[in-house]
This record gives sequence, C-alpha cells and structure tokens, in this order.
Amino acid sequence: MNCEEYREAITADPSYDGGAAHLSDCAACQAYRREILAFDKTIAGALTIEVPPLKMPALPEIETHKVVTLKPRSRIVSTWLAVAATVTIAAVVGFRMLATDIVYESLEDEILAHLDHEPAALVVSDKPVSDRRLNRVVPASIATVGHGAGLITYAQTCVINGKDIPHLVIQGERGPVTVLLMPDEKIDAAADLKGEHTRGVLLPVGEGSIAIIGNREESIAPITSSILKSVAWET
Amino acid sequence: MSSTTDAAARRTRFDDLVGGYYADMFRYAAWLSRDRAVAEDVVQESLLRAWKSLDSLRDDAAAKHWLLTIVRRENARYFERKRLETVDIDNLTGAQSALLAEEPDHQAEHMREAIFELEDDYREPLVLQVLMGYSTNEIAELMGLRQGAVLTRLHRARHKLKESMDK
Repeated sequence: MNCEEYREAITADPSYDGGAAHLSDCAACQAYRREILAFDKTIAGALTIEVPPLKMPALPEIETHKVVTLKPRSRIVSTWLAVAATVTIAAVVGFRMLATDIVYESLEDEILAHLDHEPAALVVSDKPVSDRRLNRVVPASIATVGHGAGLITYAQTCVINGKDIPHLVIQGERGPVTVLLMPDEKIDAAADLKGEHTRGVLLPVGEGSIAIIGNREESIAPITSSILKSVAWET
Repeated sequence: MSSTTDAAARRTRFDDLVGGYYADMFRYAAWLSRDRAVAEDVVQESLLRAWKSLDSLRDDAAAKHWLLTIVRRENARYFERKRLETVDIDNLTGAQSALLAEEPDHQAEHMREAIFELEDDYREPLVLQVLMGYSTNEIAELMGLRQGAVLTRLHRARHKLKESMDK
C-alpha cells in the first residue's frame, strides 16, 4: 500500500484499520490520519443538531387480535388451538383485513406499499437463501424456480390481496430486486410500477402474475427475462 | 392475554423503540431535507407509518435500521409531493436557516454550511457514517448501492468539505 491508497481509504472511512505496515513507516500518513480524525470530529459536531421534544402523533387504534401471524411463540396456547383460531378469524374477516386495515386502490398500490413493510428484505447481500427455505416458501405445488433466476437472498411468504404469495429478493446490478410470485393473481395486461425510489413491472404470466421491482437505477429488463425463463407455475 | 393487554404491550414496545431512536430519526430527517420544519413533518409521518407496520418488525435489534429506512422513504415521499427545488443557501427560509445557526460557534457553523451545500448523494452517506455510526456496508444496504460506490461518495464528500473549509 502506498500513501495515495492509504489516504484514499481513510478519507472514505476514518475507521479504516488496514495498511498498518505502511502507516507505521510513514510519518506523513500518520499526520494525515490525525488530521482526518480531527476533521471528522468537527463534522460530527456540526451534524449533531438540537432535537426538539418528541411530539407523538395521534396513533390510530390497531386491532391487535387481527395480527395473528406474529404472535410470540411463547404464548401458552396449544398449536392446534392457535391454528384453529387463525383459520376461524381468517374465515370471518379475510386475510386482507388480517394483514392491514388499509384498502388499496389497486394491486399495483398494494405491491409498492408492501415493499415498505419489509425494508429488512432490501439489503445488498451475496449470501443465498438455503434451498430448504426456498422450497418452503415456493413449494412445488405453487411453482418451480430454476437456478437461472439469479442470486436469491431473501424468501418469505407474504400476503398480497389476501393471498399467501412467495416474496423473493434477487440481487441485481444496482441493488436488491423484489420479485413477488402471484400464481392466482390474474391480470389483463402488464403494468408499470413506479415508487419513490423504485420502478418495476407487473406482468401477466399464465393464470397469475409476477411483480419485479428494483431501484430506479436498476435495469429491470434482463432480470425480467431471466425470471420469466426460470419460473414455471405448477398448474 | 386480552386484546386490551396486547394493545398496551404493543404501545409500550413502540414507545420504547421510538424513545431510543427519536433523536436519530430527527437528525437524519433534518439532514436529508435540510429543513427543521420539514424534518418534523417527516418524522411525524414516519412515526405513524412505523406504528401501523410495527408488527412487521420481528427483531427489535433491527429497529434503528428499520426506523431510518422509514424516515428515508417518508422524506422521499415528502419531496415527491412538494417537488421542492434545489436550496439556495443565500435565500433560505427561517426553518432552513435555523438548521445552520444552532450555536455561536464559528467553526461548527462554517462546517454546517459546507455540509448543507453538499449534494444529497454525498451528504446522506456522510450523515449515516459520522452521525449514525453506520459501516460502509450498512450504508450500501440502506441506500441500495454497492459498497464501492459508498466509499467513493464518502471520499468525495470529505474532499468537498475540506475544500469548503479551506476557503
């Protein structure tokens, strides 16, 4: 490592602890490091603005008994009783009402809103989900997902329009790309999906549809192509 | 457990989470929007959204990242609605000026002005790194960028600040 490389690294990240061998032999870089650390203290001081007292907004009442899917596991209720309660409630009020009180104007709106509900899914990662998890979220009875789909780093069963659907995240060129497989959500025509920082497509596929959404800089077309080649409904 | 108790427990959980991260939420919103009044609006909307979707947060240890992600999206929504233009530092509103003139410390004020003038793409990762203690990897995750892009932006941000401070 030379002076230029070291200074570039520590300017980008003052906590950088590489280049120890270079640093120990270079007085100029030692001085530069001290300067950067002092500079960052000034930045931190400037950023630490005064915070006004917390004013909690009027929070709407949430019907907690409807949030059955996320009850703590430690509850002293037998599994069968819990399942029975879930099925009963679901039959009465419908899965759509279970998930949220919000009624969306369109499937597109619900899909975009769904991305906000699971921000933890949208992370850059090089760690694929296990085959076991993928098979559990996308059972053969729903669809098969081939290896050409891309690097799948997240798989979760979610509810869209009252139906359980597989929610996958694939790593794109510019970040994570959300893929929602909706085998029972038949639509007449493709639609564009446009969020604040996202864009994508909702495509009719057989008797269902697939939504593919990435950040605005992502090139969706190649991902769409590989998804369409890799996913097959089991119908 | 009755639904009343469930509701109370849910509210307690929410208050605990928000109490721990409210200052981070406000400062992040303030530096994203560069406007204290806008930041207050964004945080209010973020709190509402967080309250409604609290049950999607499965691990409270991830609450800070979750809340800041909501603030980031609410800020984007706010500006999409308002379609605000680039801020001219010589023609600021009272709320914008209030962000800069916090204390009679010339160096801090000069630095705050320099940060204020940074482009959004440079200012945001800097705030996340210096103020929120995020690693470059975590910033990349939140902003949907490659880590290399984050490092480049942070490097340029500090260079621009140094140039401004040396003027």
